[in-house]
Parts: sequence; C-alpha cells; structure tokens
Amino acid sequence: MKQIRHFLFTAIIVAVLTAGIGYWLQQVIARMPISAEASRQAVYIKSLLGQHFWAIAFLFALIVGVMVYSFIAFRQKKGELLDGDYIEGNTGLEILWTIVPLGVVIWFAFLGGQSLTFMEIQNDNPLRVNVTGRQWSWSFEYPEYGIITEELVLPEDSQTLLRLRSTDVIHSFWVPEFGPKQDLLPGGEVRELRVNPSESGEYTLACAELCGKQHALMLADVIVMPRGEFDAWVRAKIAENPCLDGDQVGCGEKLARDNGCLACHSVDGSQNVGPTWLGLFGREEALDDGTVVIADVEYIINSIREPAAQIVSGFQNVMPAAIGESLTDEDIEAIISYIETLQ
Amino acid sequence: MSFFKTAMGRGLIYQVIGHIAGMAFIFGVRFGLGLPVFERGGLVTPAAEASWVFGGVVGTLAFLKGTGVLDDWLKWWRGLSTPDHHEDKPGWQKYFNVSMDHKIIGIQYGYTSILVFILAGIFALTFRTELLTPAADILKVTGNTPSDILDFFNTMISLHGMLMIAAILLGVGAMINYLVPLLIGAQDMAFPRLNAFAYWINVPGAVLVVTALFLGGVDAGWTGYPPLSSNLAKLGFQTFFLGVYMIGFSSITGGINVIVTILRMRAKGMSLFKMPIFVWAALATAIIQFTATQLIGLSFQLVMFQRLFGMNFFNAAQGGNPVLFQHLFWFYSHPAVYVFILPGLGVIGELLPVFSRKPLFGYKFVALSSIGIALIGFFVWAHHMFTSGMASYLRVPFMYSTLLVAVPTGVKFFSWVATLWRGRISFQTPMLFVIGAITIFLLGGITGPPNGTVSTDLYLHDTYWVVGHFHATMFGGFVFPLFAAIYYWWPKMTGRQYNETLGKIHFWIMFPAFYLQSVSQMLTGLYGMRRRIGEYEVALDIQDLHILITVAGFAIALSVVIFIYNAVISLRRGEKAADNPWHSRSPEFQVASPMPVHNYDVPFEVVGEPYDYGLAGSSYIKFASTTAPAAD
Amino acid sequence: MAEHADAVHQVSLAEYRVKSANNRLGLWLFIFSDAFVFLGLLVTRFNLMPDARPELDQTLGLIVTSVLLASSFFMNRAEIAAGVGDIKNFLRNTLVTMILGIGFLVGVVAVEWPAAAEHISVSEGVAGSVFFTMTGFHAFHVLTGVIFLFIVWNNGRKGLYTAERHFAVEACAIYWHFIDVVWVFFYPALYLMGSAVIGG
Ligand code: HEA
Ligand code: HEA
Ligand code: HEC
Ligand code: CUA
Ligand SMILES: [Cu+2]
Repeated sequence: MKQIRHFLFTAIIVAVLTAGIGYWLQQVIARMPISAEASRQAVYIKSLLGQHFWAIAFLFALIVGVMVYSFIAFRQKKGELLDGDYIEGNTGLEILWTIVPLGVVIWFAFLGGQSLTFMEIQNDNPLRVNVTGRQWSWSFEYPEYGIITEELVLPEDSQTLLRLRSTDVIHSFWVPEFGPKQDLLPGGEVRELRVNPSESGEYTLACAELCGKQHALMLADVIVMPRGEFDAWVRAKIAENPCLDGDQVGCGEKLARDNGCLACHSVDGSQNVGPTWLGLFGREEALDDGTVVIADVEYIINSIREPAAQIVSGFQNVMPAAIGESLTDEDIEAIISYIETLQ
Repeated sequence: MSFFKTAMGRGLIYQVIGHIAGMAFIFGVRFGLGLPVFERGGLVTPAAEASWVFGGVVGTLAFLKGTGVLDDWLKWWRGLSTPDHHEDKPGWQKYFNVSMDHKIIGIQYGYTSILVFILAGIFALTFRTELLTPAADILKVTGNTPSDILDFFNTMISLHGMLMIAAILLGVGAMINYLVPLLIGAQDMAFPRLNAFAYWINVPGAVLVVTALFLGGVDAGWTGYPPLSSNLAKLGFQTFFLGVYMIGFSSITGGINVIVTILRMRAKGMSLFKMPIFVWAALATAIIQFTATQLIGLSFQLVMFQRLFGMNFFNAAQGGNPVLFQHLFWFYSHPAVYVFILPGLGVIGELLPVFSRKPLFGYKFVALSSIGIALIGFFVWAHHMFTSGMASYLRVPFMYSTLLVAVPTGVKFFSWVATLWRGRISFQTPMLFVIGAITIFLLGGITGPPNGTVSTDLYLHDTYWVVGHFHATMFGGFVFPLFAAIYYWWPKMTGRQYNETLGKIHFWIMFPAFYLQSVSQMLTGLYGMRRRIGEYEVALDIQDLHILITVAGFAIALSVVIFIYNAVISLRRGEKAADNPWHSRSPEFQVASPMPVHNYDVPFEVVGEPYDYGLAGSSYIKFASTTAPAAD
Repeated sequence: MAEHADAVHQVSLAEYRVKSANNRLGLWLFIFSDAFVFLGLLVTRFNLMPDARPELDQTLGLIVTSVLLASSFFMNRAEIAAGVGDIKNFLRNTLVTMILGIGFLVGVVAVEWPAAAEHISVSEGVAGSVFFTMTGFHAFHVLTGVIFLFIVWNNGRKGLYTAERHFAVEACAIYWHFIDVVWVFFYPALYLMGSAVIGG
C-alpha cells in the first residue's frame, strides 16, 4: 500500500513539473527569433526544437521529481543512523531504461534527419547570391544582375541560394530569424545555404564564427521584400552604378565599400583597425621598420597589392593579402581617386 | 624565501633562465647566419616566434631539471640504481617538492587545479563585466579604442576557456591519483616517477599558456581554429599551443599509469566487478586520455609548424584544409569532455550509497556505462562541425552516434535515483554537492540532444545556448563532484574536519547562482546571443539576462572564497577527524585519519560487495592477519 | 616511457618479474598511444593529397627503407642474445642496429631532405608540408630510439643485464620494431601511392 502511495505522489510531482517546465519553455520559444517564422527553414527548426523541449521538460521533471520526493519521504530522521532497504538492482528495470531511451533517441535522430531533408529541399531557379565575408564586413553579389551591395536584399516567398565564401579566415552566415547557419571557408571553397524567406521585414545578418577583433561587429542588414518591390530595387541598383557612368570618385567609394576596405579604414579620421584614409594621400607615414614614406600613388598601390611589405607603425599586419587580388588596376585607380578627395 | 628552496620555486627560476637561454640561442643562430636578430624590432613581433617556441621548450626542460623529477631516470640511464622511495620533506614543504607518493601528488594536482581555476575565473569575471552593457565600453582604460577592448575580450574568453579546461584536467588528475590506489588497496601507482612527471609537466605548461596574455593575446577561442590562429599577427598563439601541448603529456602518461595500476595492482579478491565504482570511471577516463590526447597535440603542433616554417596544412590558398584541423581537434576534444565528467560521475556513484545507506542500484550497469560513454564518445566528434562546411553526408551518421551517448548516460541517472529511492538519506555537505551535481549535470545533459540533431544545431551552434549547455555539464560533471570529493575525503587528506556550516553556505550560494548563470546563458542564446562577442545588439533585448549572468558569476566567486576560508581555518584549527566519519564501507575509511604514509600497513582482502549497506553482517574488505574491524 | 627496473638490482627475481610485467604493459600502452600520432599524420596526408604524392627520389627511398628494415633484424638478434645471457653478441648486434639507425637518419635528414627540397617546398603547396612533417616526426622517433639503443648498449657494457634481468633491452627492441613498423606504413604512403606532384 505504502509503495503505491510513494509512486502516486511521485507521479503527481513529475506530472506537475513537466507541465510547468514545458509550458514555460513554450513561452521561451515564442520569444525566439525563429518564432517570427521568417523563413521556411525556421519553421522546421522551431517545430523540432519544440519537441526537444517537451522531452527536456519531462526528463528533468522525472529525475528531479523522483529525487525531491525521495528527499522528503526517505530522509534520515534527526539523530538516527538507519540503513535503507537492501535492494541491489533489478535487471528488468535496467534493461527497460536502456531500451526505452534507445528507442527515444533513435526516434529523435529520425526526426532530425527528416527536418534536415525538408530544410534542404531545392526549388527550381532559386535566386543566386554570392556572399563574400571578410574581416569584418559582408558583400553580396547578384550575378544574374551584375550588382554588388552591402546589404542583402531578398524577395519574399522564393528560394535564395546563397553561395558563401571568405577571403581570409572562417566566418559564419547567420540570420537568426531565418534559422540555419553556414560557415564561410577561405581559399576559393564555396559552401551553399538555401533559405526561403517568407516574411517581409528587416533583419540582421551576424557573423557567428569568431574571426578576430571585430567579429562582434561583423553585421549586415537583411531586407526581405515582396517580389515586385525587389524587382524595382534591382532596376534601381543597376541604374545607379557610378563605375558605369565614369564617376571615378563615386566608383572608388563604391569599390571601397563593396570590397570591405571601410570595415578597417575610417574616412572621418576616427581610430580603427587600419590607418584612417582621411588625409592619407600625401601624408608622411612612419613605418614600423623605422623609415618614413610619403603616401603617393605608388605607395598606396603597393599597400593594397602587398599589404605585408610596408607596415604602418602602430598597426598590426592584419590587412588580408587576398583582398587586392580581385581588384583590377583600374579599380585601384578609382579607389585612389576617392582617397585623394578625403582631405 | 623558503619557497625558492622548494622544487617548485627552483623549477620556476630554472624555467625563466632556460627560456631566456633558448631565446638567446636562436638570436645567436640568426646572428651567425647573418639574419637581422630582431626583425621589425622587438621581442613580441612575429619574427620572434622561433625564439619564443624554442625558449618555451628549453624552459620546460629546465623546469623539469630544476625540480629534480628527472633525476632518477637520468641515473638509470647511466646504469645507477636508486631507492624505490625517497624520503618526503616535512610539513607543507612536501607539497612543493617532488614526491612519489600518490597522495601527495594528488594534493599537488588539487591545489594547482584550484589556483588555475581561480585565475580562469577571474578572467571570466573580467569579460563578464564588459557584458553588463551591450556596447564595448566598460573595460576602457586610457588610450584604448573599442576595437582594442574587443580584442582584449577575445583574449579573455580564450584564456578563460583553455585555463578552465586545464584546471579540469588537473582536478581530474587530483581525484584519480589520490583515490585509485586507496580504493584498490595498492601502496602506490604502478609508476611513481612517471606519476610525479605527469604532475610537474603541467606547471611549465600552464605558465606558457598564461604567457600568451603578454604576447598579444590569443583571439581564436579555446578551440584555436586556423586560419585565424595561424595569422602571424598574434604571437601569443605559439606559447598557448606549446603550453597546451605540454599539459597533454600529463594526460597521456597519467592515463597509461592509471590503466596499469588498475589492471595489475588490485587487492586480493578484487575482481573487476568488485572494484569501487570510481575505479571504473578512472579506467574509462584513462582510456580516452592516453589515446585521444595525441590528436590535439598533433593538431596544435601542425598549426605551430604552419606558423614557424610557413607550412600549409590549413592554409586554403595553398591547398591546405582548415576543416581538417577541426576534425583532428575534435577527435580529442569531444572525448575529452567525457574525461572531464567521468571521474565526477564516479564520485557521485561512490558517495550516493554512503549517504543513502543503500547499495548502488545496478552496479554492473553503472560500471559498464562509463566504458560505454567513453567508447561511443570516440565516434561523435563531428557534431561540433555541423555548420563547418565538412562533407554534408557526414552529418546524419554523426547525429545518430551523438544521440546514442544519451543511453549509457541515462543508465547512470536512472540508477542514481533508484539508489535514493527507499534509502535513508542524510544531507551533509558532500551529499549536498552530490545532489547539486546530479541535477546540474542533468540540465547539461538534456540540453545536449538539441545540439545533436542537425537541423536544430544549425540554429543553436555558436550561440550562448551551447555556452549554457557546457557550463552545466562541466559544473555538474566536474565542479560540484570535485567539491563533494574534497569535503568527503577531507578527513583522510588532512586528518581534520571542515566546518559543516560553512560547507553548507558554500553549497547554498553556489547551487542557485549556478542555475541562474547557466539558465540565463541558455536563454540569451535562444534569443540570438552569439558566442565570443564583446558587444551585442541592443535590439536583442537581452541585457537583463546578461546582468543576471554576471551577478551569478560573482556569487560563484564568493562561494569559492568561502570554501577557501573554510579550508584554511580547518587546516589551522579544525577539529580532529574521526577515522570513519561517514560510516563508509570503503577501505580507506577503515584505517586512520589522516591516511597513513604507506596507505595500508596491513594488506586487505576483498570479501564482499563494495556497497552492501543494509546487508547485516557483511563487509567489503577484511585486513589480512590482524583483527582490525571491517565496515559495519 | 615505461619505468626502467633493471637498475634496481637489489629486488628479488620474483619482484623483478612483477615489475617487468607492469613495465611491459605500460610500454605497450605507450606504443598504442604513440600510434595515434602517426595515424593522425596519415589521415592528414591522405586528406590533403588524396591521389597525389610528393615527388621524391625512389632509389634513396628504397635504400633508407632497406637500411631500417635490416636494423630491425639485428635488433631482434640482440634481444635474443640478451635473453640467453650472451652479452658479447648482444653488444655487437646492438651496435650494428645503432649504426644502421644512424645511417637511416643521415639518409633521410641529410640526404633525402635536401634532395627533396629541389622538387617540393615547405611553403608552397602541401606536398612539402606533408613530406617534411611526416619524415620529421618519424626521424625524431628514430633519434630517440638510437639514444635508447646507446643507453642499453652502454649499460650492457657495464654488465647490467643478465638472462633473467634485461627488461630494458626488451623495451628497446619493442620500441625499435614499432618505429620500423611505422615506416612500413609511411614509406608507401609517401613514396608509392598516388601520382607524383612537383611543387604542390
Ligand atoms: C563535460 C562536458 C560535456 C558533456 C558531458 C557533454 C555532453 C553532451 N554534449 Fe556537449 N559540449 C561540451 C561539453 C560537454 N558536452 C562543450 C565544452 C561544448 C562546446 C565546445 C565549444 O564549441 O567550445 C559542447 C558542445 C556540444 C555540441 C556542439 C554544439 C555546437 O557548437 O553546435 C553538441 C552537439 O551535438 C553537444 C552534444 C552533447 C551531447 C549529446 C552530450 C551527451 O553526452 C549528453 C547525454 C546526457 C543526457 C541526454 C542526459 C541524461 C539522460 C537521460 C535522462 C536518459 C534519457 C535521455 C534521452 C532519451 C534523450 N555538445
Ligand atoms: C570548468 C570549466 C568552466 C568554468 C568553471 C567556467 C566558469 C564560468 N564561466 Fe566559462 N567557459 C568555459 C569553461 C568554464 N567556465 C569554456 C571552456 C568556455 C569556452 C571559451 C571559448 O568560447 O573559447 C567558457 C566560456 C564562457 C562564456 C562565453 C564567452 C563567449 O563566448 O563570449 C561565458 C559568458 O558568460 C562564461 C562565463 C563563466 C562564468 C561567469 C563562470 C563563473 O562560474 C566563474 C566563477 C568565478 C570563479 C571560479 C573565480 C573564483 C574565485 C575568486 C575570484 C576569488 C578570488 C581569489 C582568491 C581567493 C585568491 N564562460
Ligand atoms: C582586416 C582589416 C583591413 C581591411 C579589410 C583592409 N585593410 Fe588596408 N590596412 C589595414 C591595416 C591594419 C593597415 C596598416 C598596416 C599595413 O600597412 O599593412 C592597412 C593599410 C592600408 C594602406 C596604407 C595606409 C597608410 O596609412 O599608409 C592602404 C592604402 C590600404 N590599407 C588600403 C586598403 C584597401 C584599398 C582595402 C580594400 C580593398 C583595404 N585596405 C582593406 C587593415 C585592413
Ligand atoms: Cu566574421 Cu566573425
Ligand atoms: Cu562534443
């Protein structure tokens, strides 16, 4: 009789705890970015996480519930030193609690595989965007339209195929509201990530892999808009390219932005990872080998083509060498014209 | 200063001298070859890498020579013989000198662990303070820009992580070295000199890791992924990698020693299934330590070569593969997390029956589950790499293997609560820490499977959810059990009792503070907080949670201070401890407190089961020829 | 390294046997552990260059390999000699092993490395990184093996080993054979498998 009472009370504790924790965890999920359901992928993640959380609630309640009940019912009274019941084990029970969790984890693995498959479903003709990450900025190239931007603009309700690469170290692409992450690898390796944005709105892309000093600040705006607006945006972007209408300075500024130079170089004289570009042209620059040079065209070209060759005193040699590789001589000329205007 | 007359003091002086000599040698070579001695001016520039590395190696050897751990071996090499045991120094000095007594070595591991733990804790409190506000503005000293603060922040988290892990490895060494010979009735470990070596090599290793702080820091996290860590801008990586490499030697040699000791030196009658449960845990731990550790050593060495010689293992531009590093690294570092917890889970298994006065439920299953965890643990490493861009077909098999670990771990939990059920539970400090350990490790464990299923991990990876997960596993599987063990075996170690009230206060601060810290970490992670950022987006609206984490961190520090105070006053004027204050059946409690110098003056024989509490008239061991009373 | 019990002559033979058995187990565990490093290197090599190999001098490779294999044969004879207490033969064979070991080292480090450096570079491509690191790790082990041989030889001269008590010799032999076996895997991995690449 007593036995049954013990089990009954324990069951009540476990049930109450499970319900309480489970309910609270559902509130937590509701506050998560994926609950905005801004992409199809987020929906799958959220649904599997919800199931995990119920399992967590139950298991935590089960173990803690039994423990708490034992502390109350089976505690040693003051001053006594009695032994408990002599029970060494129970093979049936032990097999049970090996087999049942085994079944449960296999079930979860199955669910995990299934949701992964759903997340990676490939649609025909996705919008391709080449994403480049570098210390510490992002740029987005839309190869079909020949535009490069600093913010990621995506049409609603169609699949985007992000083709990710890095020019220096490992970074990671993550828009919390979209759900999944994918690392960007250096050395020309391309990794793909598919997202199907489903809610117009503004989001933030954040780098999720430690990549040095300003990893925390490696952010970019993400804007999802209805198809029609997106098309209009594309047309406007194509039209406004300064490099096509012979605007050297504007083109230089755009190139500096698109290639991430401005992540390290300020144009207003403020301190940053690299020397400021304000007043750079013609300035006397002290190098860390003790010499002083005048920042003329040749020096600047050199600094971009071979950043490690001359290091400005007080700065570390962190400017990526690969960054200049994608720039043509004309590009660099344009950038220099832009730097010249920063006096 | 008598400290400098001890092996520790001498070793450290030798290390500094050796280090300088090593550096000077490289400068000499450069000079001889006609290269500029200081390229681009100064000792902390990348050009000084080779000299720092060589200095580090020579310094480590000099440290070992200075302490004298190598002396016996060097004599053997010359064909001389040495006595089996050396006389230990009197009083406190024996803890700072080379000893071959496993009990002293265990305590040496123990205090070193706590020192490193405190240092790493101070680093945590430092960067936690910065996280009180979203912007990087608190750790501002004159002349540093926000970007310098972020850089410093990265160094702090990296060293916090790595030093904490070093502290864990040391603490694991403390428990295993102190306890295994006592529990199996051996005089000492199988290889006492190797045992001493395994301890002492940690010290120069830890010194090297900390040196990184002064060489520009390290900014790639404890995981040190290249190409970030192979970027020459930060010299600190070299001493960081080298230091960890030295610490690795400790795990390898220590692991071998433990296995031989357990397999060959058990008391008469102690078949494998009559060993105390902690010994099973130690065996499983050692299996991981002596194999997997080689791979973290190799992975770090390859990055060092890449930096030193311009090799290209992980340099993608030259055909290298950064993801390969992650495979090599996690092949050790996942199994390593089971190194952190298995001894702790062993302590739980050891103490629960004592304080519930009831046999350990399902002894065999618990014993084998340790081995099961260790073995499955070798096949799950890539779950840290679901987003890494490794071949994507690898993800599903690693998801299955990862989730399988839950099965043997679950067996432990179910057996523990079944041990409590219908026991007679009392709540002294060691038991409180055991209870804390179980619930906290549970929290850490059940937050593992969501990381294990690929699709959810793609969201959770590199968020504070993972940070919460691993703090819970490490506190529950290591920190709490370590404190339980310290309180429980304190009488055997020191011959004195600690203050029970202070012990309870320690627990009642640390336990809730830890829940606050860990659960808040998990929540910020779910709400979008990334790892390793010194500045977070205001829009996430998580500042309140961050403040809670920081406050909880300081509360934990306070509880540690109370513990240290308790330890100090107990050593000074603690009450003399009884031989068997817990009424335990375990062999070490059947002899005097503190433990006699040579453990068991009379060897014992195993005549029963280790945990038969409640079986009238039974006992676990019987001393050979005397009438010494066995357990009640 | 396993504890070396020969020096402790005062112990009884029974005790010596127990200790040697401990040492033997420790030694095998050490070798098992060390094997993981070499395994890691092989994984690295095949991951980075799945179907290529460094451009190397085949004749040289064959020569050093035969030298090392031959040394194992003499090592074996030395151990057998020590086992029957034939110290003279033991010393002679150990010396030959040592000389062959040094020959291998010279062959790899002083001859093969400079020769290889003509085709593959440390800092270009991965072939150089792989080749120099793998042979370097192995050569380091050979070097420690040679030092171990020297210690055993030197102590043998002092008359420290008898037919019953010569665990150090046994340990040295096991270690030496292990190094040899590693090369048996490294040699084909470096010299034979995949098509040769120049540069990287
Ligand atoms: C002591 C250390 C420790 C322990 C024991 C564990 C245990 C586990 N860990 Fe954890 N983990 C870490 C330390 C640890 N971990 C660290 C340090 C990191 C971060 C590294 C870094 O990047 O810096 C990490 C990261 C980490 C990741 C990568 C996350 C990411 O970065 O994306 C994953 C993914 O699968 C994971 C999974 C697991 C699992 C499945 C377990 C399992 O072993 C847990 C098993 C236990 C239980 C499940 C609870 C009890 C079981 C039951 C009550 C039975 C019934 C249960 C079920 C049916 C589910 N861990
Ligand atoms: C055992 C392991 C362990 C322990 C105990 C801790 C303890 C703590 N950890 Fe740590 N942590 C790690 C292991 C551990 N950590 C690891 C491996 C990482 C990953 C690093 C990486 O990403 O690379 C990490 C990362 C990590 C992060 C994430 C950083 C990031 O990604 O940006 C955070 C953030 O909150 C954090 C916080 C804390 C806090 C507040 C404590 C507190 O509990 C600390 C409490 C304070 C003390 C223990 C100090 C004790 C005493 C005193 C101060 C008294 C002083 C003096 C005397 C008596 C002389 N840790
Ligand atoms: C990761 C940070 C980073 C990025 C991105 C970066 N730089 Fe730099 N740059 C630096 C640092 C640091 C220095 C100073 C050290 C040196 O001279 O190499 C520097 C120096 C320079 C100099 C010399 C400045 C002087 O004051 O003498 C020029 C010119 C320059 N960079 C141009 C560029 C251009 C163009 C780009 C983009 C295509 C770029 N940088 C991208 C970090 C960066
Ligand atoms: Cu890029 Cu972090
Ligand atoms: Cu893991």
